[in-house]
This record gives sequence, structure tokens and C-alpha cells, in this order.
Amino acid sequence: MKPCAATARQLGLINCHDCHLLITAAQAKAHPHCPRCGAHLHLRKPNSLARTWALVCAAIILIIPANVLPITVTTTLGAKQADTIMSGVIYFMQTGSWEIASVIFIASVFVPFAKLLILIFLLLSVHFRSVWRPKDRTTLYRLTELVGRWSMVDIYVVTILVALVKLGAVAAIEAGPAAVFFAGVVVITMFAAENFDPRIIWDVIEENV
Amino acid sequence: MTDNPQTEPQAAEAVIQSKRRFSIVWIVPLVALAIGGWLAFKAISEKGPTITITFSTADGLEAGKTKIKFKDVEIGQVETIALNEDASKVIVTAKMIKGSEPYLTNQTKFWVVRPRISGGSVSGLGTVFSGAYIGIDGSRAGSSAHAFIGLEVPPVVTIDQPGRHFILQADTLGSIDIGAPVYYRQIQVGQVVGYSLDKDGKAVDIQIFIEAPHHTRVTENTRFWNASGFDVSLNAQGLKVETQSMISILSGGIAFDVVKETGQGEEEAKENATFYLYADRSSTQEKKYTVRNYYALLFDESVRGLNIGAPVEIYGIKLGEVVDLKLEFDIETKKFTVPVIVAIEPERISAAHSVAQKEKALKMIEHDPDAFIKVLVEQQNLRAQLQSANLLTGQLMVNLVFVPDAPKASLSSRDGLRVVPTIPGSFERLQEGLSKIIANLEKVKFDQIGGDLQQVLKDASATLKQFGTLAKKLDTETAPKMQATIAELEKTLIELQRSIGKDSPLNYNARNTLEELSQALRSIRELADTLESRPQSIIFGKEKEVHE
Repeated sequence: MKPCAATARQLGLINCHDCHLLITAAQAKAHPHCPRCGAHLHLRKPNSLARTWALVCAAIILIIPANVLPITVTTTLGAKQADTIMSGVIYFMQTGSWEIASVIFIASVFVPFAKLLILIFLLLSVHFRSVWRPKDRTTLYRLTELVGRWSMVDIYVVTILVALVKLGAVAAIEAGPAAVFFAGVVVITMFAAENFDPRIIWDVIEENV
Repeated sequence: MTDNPQTEPQAAEAVIQSKRRFSIVWIVPLVALAIGGWLAFKAISEKGPTITITFSTADGLEAGKTKIKFKDVEIGQVETIALNEDASKVIVTAKMIKGSEPYLTNQTKFWVVRPRISGGSVSGLGTVFSGAYIGIDGSRAGSSAHAFIGLEVPPVVTIDQPGRHFILQADTLGSIDIGAPVYYRQIQVGQVVGYSLDKDGKAVDIQIFIEAPHHTRVTENTRFWNASGFDVSLNAQGLKVETQSMISILSGGIAFDVVKETGQGEEEAKENATFYLYADRSSTQEKKYTVRNYYALLFDESVRGLNIGAPVEIYGIKLGEVVDLKLEFDIETKKFTVPVIVAIEPERISAAHSVAQKEKALKMIEHDPDAFIKVLVEQQNLRAQLQSANLLTGQLMVNLVFVPDAPKASLSSRDGLRVVPTIPGSFERLQEGLSKIIANLEKVKFDQIGGDLQQVLKDASATLKQFGTLAKKLDTETAPKMQATIAELEKTLIELQRSIGKDSPLNYNARNTLEELSQALRSIRELADTLESRPQSIIFGKEKEVHE
């Protein structure tokens, strides 16, 4: 891929994250601040790869209990029933509610896993200094950032159900332990995506050139 | 590329610090790992045994949902439900909680709790809404096991319930069902927990459970009887209806008590002790006699109303019962006979007099029944007769009587049985007497009597005619004469009236005479008084007034 123009890094310039002022890197001290808005200045997001790896690892660990443990505990006339995310999807599928099943599946199962896989893929590609389709990889990153927060839909559904269905002995829904872990997964992957600096993808290519 | 002269000096001074130090962010995955690890550890440490239970049907069971409950506490959950190889059974795999191992032994019972309505009880109503669950009755006794066979019917008694099991032997099950109540003085103290045929299929073994503290009431002498439903018996004693409670009417029941004559035994019956289940209460009162001697009675009269089991009595006390009735035809005499086989229980007889004689008598009664019956028949004229036991129902019984004026008979033998001679029954004898009277009446020549009677009547009418002529004579001849006589008599009476009338001379004279007579009598009285006071006056005459 042919680079179109000189980057700020090549020119020794730092872009302020907040007010986007261009500052000469040479003027910067060990911990530079933006002369205009006072924000911390970094050439790239500091420690981006390590931080992203750490958060991705944490998300991978948390996603296991999030899917294995029950996310809701439904009590109907004394009969307790615990449902995991997947069993809920299967339940809706079996009862014929394909729409709800697909929404829950996409928001709660597909998206978190896809996000994690994309992040792992991006991290690995950077790690091995891959030059493969940097543009597409950047698209993937954008997708990750865009879609990440929608996974919280499941948590919203659970909280709303818990608040709504409180009919004492007749029917009651309680949040299961998986809800906490699932929320953790969503938040941590959002942070992970945030911490990943897509410019690194391009840095590799420019260095190669 | 960096050929721009304006930016070069600025770019050249750029210092890029790339430090490769341990990021604090790694704490996040470490915390996550710690939580995950703790969860995993907890899951593994709390993981209980996995067991399989075989049921005949998975009705109401759901994989991943159905719970296993012990005393209504959840201790497990069904994981999978699958058919066995030949699809005859359902194998349920369940995960139990940690700590349930001690209760999973080969004596542990599993059953599906569903709504049930049986006999006198309704159970499992809660499962109508909540769905079925698997009940477990854990027992610490026995060896550890992981594969179980589920019961189709919930056990009536849980293993740890204090009490005692007993086995009752009965000829038939009757209307007894699992869960049927067991009563002691009409209080429910236990239940029927199961029944089965015995080894050779000739009797029924009924397992019952008596709850503590009532299980100590069952002693060696206790008698159990079937208290099912209405016991309506129509026998020689009349109509009898017996029942324990409404539930026992519906679902059968068993009652027990101690027989009075044997009294309360000291020994409590042990676990799984075996008892005989009597058919009804009255039969428990009867002793079980071990010795039975059989005799034949030959009747040549109707035995209608005599049933097998009818009592054989002597002096109104039961001595045995009828065990068989037959009808036989004798080709030689061309007659029917009814041989009735009776069983006599000699143990019912006790002996009188001193101990030595008693023993002698009992020895004779029990060990030499032939000699005993021979003495009775040949010397005491023992005879058997049919007697009406119940006039209402027409039931018959066999009565043994001593008939002093009966023709002598000797004890004979028939088909290996001693034959006790019979006499016609009391009713039969009454009939016989009546027929004799009728036969005698038949001998009377009623037509001759009629002829004679006619003759008599003829004579009587002739006599009456004579009477008629006599009466006529009286009327025509005697009556006028009588009238004349009466008129004369009247005249005479008038004259008589006149002659002795009020002013008649006869009347006057008679009055005078009477006056004089009374004066004379007064004088005589005076004389008598004088004589009484002064008897000397009769000789010396009246004394003078002066002396007085």
C-alpha cells in the first residue's frame, strides 16, 4: 500500500487528543501537556497494545461465567427456573419468537464474542507486524467501537424485567449472577476497544515502507 | 520525505519516550482471573455426584428443570432424560448437590411427585402449577450407589419415620390397597406399605407400618383382621354389619387388637414379625385349634340351609364345623343319603374333676378320639340331628344330642371316617308327628259317620213330630181345663181372704189369744225371776215386805 502523505509522527508533531492542536514533539517534556487545553499529550495512545491485551484477557475470562451462569431466575408459582443467556435464546426459538431470539442472540452472544475476536485479531496482526489490508482492519475496529455498547441491551432487558415482574408468589424475576459478569464483559471490551490505537496498524506499514 | 525545511528543526528535536514497563491495566485481567478462578473452584467444590434413575415414564419430567427434593429441600436437578437401549424405560440423569452422597445408597428411593388422588388422600397438589419433581427418601443404611430404579408410586412411609414394619399373611388381598389405614381401637396408627404374593403364590404377604409410639402395642398375641369396607355377614347368628371408618369403607383397612383370653403378651413383636390376617373381627376371637377329627353324619332328609362352615354344637357350644356336604345314591336300597362331613376340634373340650382324671380325660379326648366317640355313641346314645339355627334365614346347624330312648346303635366306619348315627332334626320330628296325626285321621271312616249321622237326624225329626202332636193335645185339651182350674183357684183365694181378713172373727180371736198368751208369758217370767233370786219361795212362799 502506498502511503499518501507524511504523518504527524513522521513530521515530529503531536496531535492533542482533546483540542486537536498540533504540537512539536521536540518541545514536549517527559510528560507533555497541551499548551492550549492542558491535556496529556501522547504521540500514540500510551501502552496501547499491553492495555488492550490485558482488558481482552479479562473479558475472555469474564465471558465464561457470563454464559455459563444463569442470567435470570424466574419464579412462577413456586417453581424456580434459572436461565442462562443461551437457554433464553433457545426458549424463545422453541416458542416461535424468532425475532426476539435473534435480537438477544445478536446483542448478547454474537456481538460480545465478535468484538473479542476482532480485538484479538487486530492485536495479533499488529503484534506480528502484518501488512494485510490495513484499511479493512481499521473498518473492523470502527465496527467494534460502534457496536460494542449495544451489547448492554441485554442488561437493560434484565433490569427492566426484574423491576417489572414482581408479582410475589405468582411470578418474579431476579437477576442471576451472570448479569454482573456480562455487564463486566461489555464494559471491559468497550475499554479495550477504546485503548486500542488504530494508528498502530498504519505505523507498521509506514515503517516497512 | 522529511525534506520540508520549515518543519525539519522542530521534528529533529522530538524525543519519543517509549517505555516498556508493566502496565497497571494487567490488574484487570488478574482480578477477572481471580473471580473466574474462584467461581470455578466453587463450582468444582460444590459439584455433587451424578446419578441415574430409571423410570417407566418421564411424564412431567423436564431435562434441566425438574428438581430432586428431599423433604421438600432441593438437593438435585435433572440434567438429561433419555431412553434406554430397548426403549422400555426412561433413564434420568441428575446432578446432586455436594453432601448428598451419604443418602445415596442402595436403599434410597426415588419417585415422581405428581398430583395424586387415591382412596382417602390427596397429595402433590402443589405440583399442579409448579410441575412434577422427583422425591427422594434417603437412607444412610446400605452401600453407596449411583444408579437407582425409581418407584412408580410414592412410598407411604419414609425410611427415617420411627415405627415398626410387620408382615401380615392373608389368603386374599381383599380390598386392601397401599396406604390403607391400620387401626387400633379405631384410631389410625399405621398404614399398609406394600403387598406381594408369597413365594409359592398361595397366600398374600401384606407389609404394614405401625408408627411410633403405637408399634409397642403390637405384641406376640396381637391379632390382625381385615376391617375393609362394610363387612356384612349373614350367618347362623343373624345379620351383622361391621366397619371401622369412612376411609376404610372406601379404601380398605386393617385393625388389630389383643385377644382377651390370651391377654396382652409381654413380648413386643419384632421388626418384620409375621402375623396372620383374619378375615374379620369375630374370627380373631376364635382360637386356632390344631387338632381336627373328622366324622361322617348320614342324613336322609333335606339339608337345605346347612352350609359348609355351619357350626356343630353340643349343649349349644360350638365343637366344630361342617366341612363337606355330598349327595349319594345307594343302588341297593335305591335311596339317597346325604353324608355330611364334620370337623370336631377336641381341644375345645376341657375335662372336669381332679387333675389326674382331667389328664386322663384329656388324653382320651385328644389322643384316642375313636374310643371317646365310641363311648359317647354306644353308652350315652350320642346322636346328631339337624337343627334350625336361625328361623329368619332358615340356616341349619348340626346339633349333637344325647337321646336316652334312642334305639341302640354302634359306631361304624365309612370311607375311613367314623359315622355318628343321626336322628331326625327337631323340625323334622315335628313334621313327622304332624304326618302321623294326619295318617291317623285318614283312618277314620268319615262316610260311615256321615250315614250314621243322617239316621240320627231322621230319628230326631220323628221324635220332634211326636212332640208336635203332644203339644197340640196340650193346647186343645189341657189348656181349657187349666183355665177352669185357675178360675176356681181364684174364687177359693177370695174366700180365704174374706175368712182371714182384718175384721174377720178368726183374726179377732187370734189377736185375743195372743194377748192372753203374752200375759201368761210375763207371769212365767216373773215367776222365773223370783225363783232365781229366792229359790226357797217355791217351798216357803212369798216373804213379807217388811223383811226386805
